[in-house]
Amino acid sequence: MSNVLRPYLAAVRSTLTAALTLEDFSSQVVERHNKPEVEVGASKEVLLNPLIISRNENERVLIEPSINSIRLSIKIKQADEIERILCHKFTRFMMQRAENFVVLRRKPVKVGIQPSPGVLRFIDPRVAQGYDISFLITNNHTDTMLKHKIVDFIIQFMEEVDKEISEMKLSLNARARVVAESYLTAFNV
Amino acid sequence: MILLEPHNHIIQTTLAEKASQPSALDVQFVDFDGVRFRLTTPDRKVPTALVLSMSIRCWDELVRYGVNDILKREYGAALRAEPEFGYNVTLDVNLEQIPPEGDERDAYIKSLALLKRNALAAPFELGFQTQKQLEAAGSGQGELMALHYRDEEVIYVQASSDRVTVIFSTMFREETDRVFGKVFLQEFVDARRLPTIQSAPQVLYTTREPPLEIRHLQGLNDSEDVGYVTFVLFPRHFAKADVANSTITHIQLFRDYLHYHIKCSKAYMHSRMRYRVSEFQKVLNRAKTEAAVVDRKTVS
Repeated sequence: MSNVLRPYLAAVRSTLTAALTLEDFSSQVVERHNKPEVEVGASKEVLLNPLIISRNENERVLIEPSINSIRLSIKIKQADEIERILCHKFTRFMMQRAENFVVLRRKPVKVGIQPSPGVLRFIDPRVAQGYDISFLITNNHTDTMLKHKIVDFIIQFMEEVDKEISEMKLSLNARARVVAESYLTAFNV
Repeated sequence: MILLEPHNHIIQTTLAEKASQPSALDVQFVDFDGVRFRLTTPDRKVPTALVLSMSIRCWDELVRYGVNDILKREYGAALRAEPEFGYNVTLDVNLEQIPPEGDERDAYIKSLALLKRNALAAPFELGFQTQKQLEAAGSGQGELMALHYRDEEVIYVQASSDRVTVIFSTMFREETDRVFGKVFLQEFVDARRLPTIQSAPQVLYTTREPPLEIRHLQGLNDSEDVGYVTFVLFPRHFAKADVANSTITHIQLFRDYLHYHIKCSKAYMHSRMRYRVSEFQKVLNRAKTEAAVVDRKTVS
């Protein structure tokens, strides 16, 4: 792990660990409903302050805590067209398997916060737009799974997704080179 | 198998099998670029009289570039004057007159399997001839020969006094193909810098913007998905007959080769992602506590 990446991941890890204090909380609006408050957004008093941890302008994490659920969205580094395609393919591949990854959301959060002016005030709107993949952790997940292992999973995902994308890019370039060379070499008769 | 085979594998294997054991058959199959083949025995009682027909999209254009002469040269009397209904070329193959088993028979079957290659060679051979005439004349440009070999894709061949230019227009159907195609084509341009392949034809590519040679043409597809690849063939690529033949064989397959490898890369990425996702799954499963796994039974 590079030295630049380490403090970024450490910040995400400690923030996420601190935010993962979830409890069962029934809806205040509809009787006998129990829904992730961060998704419903119906009662403002149970939503906590969202937070963005930014490594640079292309990589950031948005953590939106609430009383019974927490939503974490990741913007993955995409330096050029190839990385954009590969990142899109990879995240889509995972999100299609979201039922296996219980904490994964089927769609990434597009605009970070539900537009409630009180909260949005803290966040620069340019920064708060567009994420590649989102996780939703509810109190049910923290009840059935070990909290620190969930955090480990997310950190490991962040660590490896960059690596995977750059490796795929390298392998694409390597294949392209071999393909081009062997085609052109065949003209040397 | 990095390079694609120029011959049709089905023709080759079927004929080799039928040559040793003749029996009645009627098969239809396809090749690259929407080429259709049909191999039949019209009379079930005479299993040694086979008929091989081919339908190719750009037949009218090929006829204009002299495909009939080439096929007559390659297949001689086997070529029927009137092709089978629904097809463009028909060859009569008599298994009784086939050469005896061995290299000679293999070569004969191979030449039949190269039917598509020989048909598509017409504009290239014409281009090479025109270049020789122009070289003797000292200057001038040959006719721009277009070959609409697929629905939206065209090969252009043009001879000049010192070279033959071959332009492929290719269509990338999806965004991923387009991006991957760009990476591959860039490598084709860069690969020539290597000392070992300095003598390969020069490769140029553009996306969207057509090259100068064909810019005046009407009805070019103007979109981001179109790429143009130009090969500049110099006389050394077609001076000798055998070199010319291998150049033709090779350059015809360029489009198929490019797209084949784009598909291969996509398949590789897919298997890679599958593996990586299953690794992530394992990490997440470690978080699950044992208690959650135990399924509760209702009292019955």
